[in-house]
Amino acid sequence: MLETLPVAERAAAAPRGRRLSRAAPFVVAALAALALWIAPPFLDTFAVNVLTRSMIYAVLAVTVDLLWGFAGILTFGQAAFFGIGAYATAMILGAYGATPLGIAAAVAAALLAPALLGLAVGWLSFYHRSTPLYASVISLVVPIVVVQLIYSGGEWTGSSSGLVGFDVLPFEIEGYFRLAALFLIVVTLAAWILVRADAGRALVALRDNEARCAYLGLNPRRLQIRLTASLAGVAGLAGFLFANASGVVAPENAGFLFGTELVIWVALGGRGTLLGPVLGTVAIDYLAANLSGDLPFLWQLLLGTAFVAIIILLPGGLADLVGRLWRALPVGRRVPAPPRLVARTAETEATAAATPILKVEGLAKAYGSLTVLEGIDLEIRAGELVSLVGPNGAGKTTLMRCLSDGTEPFTGAIAVGGTPITGLTPNRIVGLGVGRKFQVASVFESLSVADCLRLARAPHDGLSPVGQAETLGLPQPALDVLRMTGLDRLLTRPTHLLSHGQKQALELAMVVALEPRLILLDEPTAGLTKAERTTIGTVLKALTAEGRIAAVLVEHDLDFVREISSRIVVLHQGRLVLDGTVEDVVGSELVRTIYAGGAHG
Amino acid sequence: MLLTLDILTTAAILFIVSIGLLAIFGVLKIINFAHGAWLTVGAYCAVVTAKIGLNPWAALPLAFVIGAALGGLAEHFIIRPLYRRPLDAILATWGLGIVLGQLITLAFGRDVQLTPNLYAGTVEILGVDYSAYRLVALGIALAIGTLFALTIERTRLGLSARAVIMNETLARSLGIDTGRVRLVVFMIGAGFAGLAGVLLTPLTSVDPNMGVSWLIGAFMLVMVADASYLALAAACLVFGAAQVLISTFVSPILGSIAVAVLAALVLRISPKGFSRA
Repeated sequence: MLETLPVAERAAAAPRGRRLSRAAPFVVAALAALALWIAPPFLDTFAVNVLTRSMIYAVLAVTVDLLWGFAGILTFGQAAFFGIGAYATAMILGAYGATPLGIAAAVAAALLAPALLGLAVGWLSFYHRSTPLYASVISLVVPIVVVQLIYSGGEWTGSSSGLVGFDVLPFEIEGYFRLAALFLIVVTLAAWILVRADAGRALVALRDNEARCAYLGLNPRRLQIRLTASLAGVAGLAGFLFANASGVVAPENAGFLFGTELVIWVALGGRGTLLGPVLGTVAIDYLAANLSGDLPFLWQLLLGTAFVAIIILLPGGLADLVGRLWRALPVGRRVPAPPRLVARTAETEATAAATPILKVEGLAKAYGSLTVLEGIDLEIRAGELVSLVGPNGAGKTTLMRCLSDGTEPFTGAIAVGGTPITGLTPNRIVGLGVGRKFQVASVFESLSVADCLRLARAPHDGLSPVGQAETLGLPQPALDVLRMTGLDRLLTRPTHLLSHGQKQALELAMVVALEPRLILLDEPTAGLTKAERTTIGTVLKALTAEGRIAAVLVEHDLDFVREISSRIVVLHQGRLVLDGTVEDVVGSELVRTIYAGGAHG
Repeated sequence: MLLTLDILTTAAILFIVSIGLLAIFGVLKIINFAHGAWLTVGAYCAVVTAKIGLNPWAALPLAFVIGAALGGLAEHFIIRPLYRRPLDAILATWGLGIVLGQLITLAFGRDVQLTPNLYAGTVEILGVDYSAYRLVALGIALAIGTLFALTIERTRLGLSARAVIMNETLARSLGIDTGRVRLVVFMIGAGFAGLAGVLLTPLTSVDPNMGVSWLIGAFMLVMVADASYLALAAACLVFGAAQVLISTFVSPILGSIAVAVLAALVLRISPKGFSRA
């Protein structure tokens, strides 16, 4: 436990407020459901019909918002999944009628067919080193392909005229209105709970910094594919409802243009806010239905102009504007209670002294004809603190990269704890017990300090999909880093407000929280003050002194290196030229020549 | 023989349609989703030229000038604030495309417009009668490609553009006015898109939404070509061939999605696309 009283006191005062704020979304949802349930008699038939459709579209907007606003995946593909759900429903109900079995089959098909396609699309879109642009490209191709398949489906899909006249659920238009309202409220509430929960932070983390996610041992690819597939399923269910409520499905429902419309609604409403896209979609679709009869082109013109203006001037959409006003009011400004820090006993089992933690044999790497590393042999055992030194361009950072990413094209063998890492993605190497700190602090800019640390613990402790844990369990060394740098008092601060040194310390704490057996640090003291450097040195020495873990650091500050290292390895022009104790290396004539530039000639 | 001609001319048309998009993507690293709207604007330049009774070929310079002028405005007001947000730039240019499409609709109505054929008739080559215009298009594509290559390789602008492509920060620190390079390249790219719009008029119906159907194909080709005009030419040939062959032997509907699907698969396997070869 930590002796940071202020935090503990504030945490004790929090529960009542926290319970209230936790119940609030449920109360709001219940009130909304009640209001929409009794609404139909007060609306005319036209309004009921249009709003039913608008609310179904709003469900799609929620899925687009989760993908784009939260997880950073700009997608035009939700329209395709929606269309497939609608067509599956129409085809099954058309063939088997609205019998209980037919309805059950339609629901299942509307959910599973898009979800399966979503899996395939996810697999295609996300792979190690895939780019966000590529995922958007795929999401564009999917609706185009689906629409062409519908066109070529002949009688099955009704080709360009779509399907009409199939059996539907036995509801009046008021019934569909209420069903759509309930569906929208349930989906929105579930999404709200997810994004407020710890697991929701992982989505934002993916958007902020996918590489850091991988180097925390999270599998970004799997998260993205799962999200794509499950939200494809939700879009399919919306398609089921749409086919029933409207009684007609057409190729446009699955098309790329509809996909772009969804993105426009979400952008105008406010990406990353859930409520913004819901209200935006309902408002815009309802307005469109009322206005486009009188001024069809003008309406599109206004919408397009508003869209361009919002994207350029107000990327957060209208919800961002409302949010800013709200925060300007005294009631809107509430500081969330920080989680309580708890010490967690270390889980790393001692590696048998006989097997080295890291073994590198004959490692070589070249970019085309330029050889960057050649003939590197290196063994590192538990308890060692090895400094990697050498002039700029010696290959130090490249070596670190090879050690932490097995998909780098290199020759030779690297084994962590006896397991070869060739071909393994960074997250799997983290699973073997390797933690890497980057040269430029790599944290999640839109998350708080506590959230960053919690994500670092996710591979060990998991993330709650429904709530926020009130405690944050960290191994003692990570707590030490936080305390020595004062970060333990800044747990709720967003990381983009931290100083350079604080970010470096936070990243170190995150890496230490992984409980790695091998820590790789690329210039951990670059740009830090003397005091901060001393702190990091103390932490590293304490970590390795217990004899359970090893650390490798790239460092230019030779005084710092001399102070903390147990061993020094000198790289020069891609070769390992010296490997010895501090005294060996510091006294070496060779090192002096290299640093004086003599060896270049 | 007919098949070979079809493949060559299809590739030529794809090249004409995508070269403007490629220029912009290569230098600005921005995908101009309003590209389709520029094609439409170009095509309506042909409509206007016909209405005021000028020679149909006069539409080419007109479309280039109008396309470039609109491009200059778009770069200044829409693209420039979004250089650091490339995904948002896609959306903003898409919005701009909607706006342009609606303005055209307001001015000309949403009906299909008739344009005079730029070059009517057929030519007999090697025993087959072939559309003369498609052969002219092939020649124009070669001319545009050559012009483009000369601009990139031989002119000061081309040199600056290549410097910006390779390393914009370094280019700026060497005193190249990168903002100006971006503006000029965007205007040229938009001008070429307008030009392409005119050249499409004999092949497709002219209506306010005609550009959208060409946009996706051009976009996928540019993704695969990754800023290299030679790779673009190769991609046009390969995917053009696939489109013609699949349309002829399997089904025209599948043929119409061949470019998009094949390009997506190529990108999945080799993210740099054709530019490596």
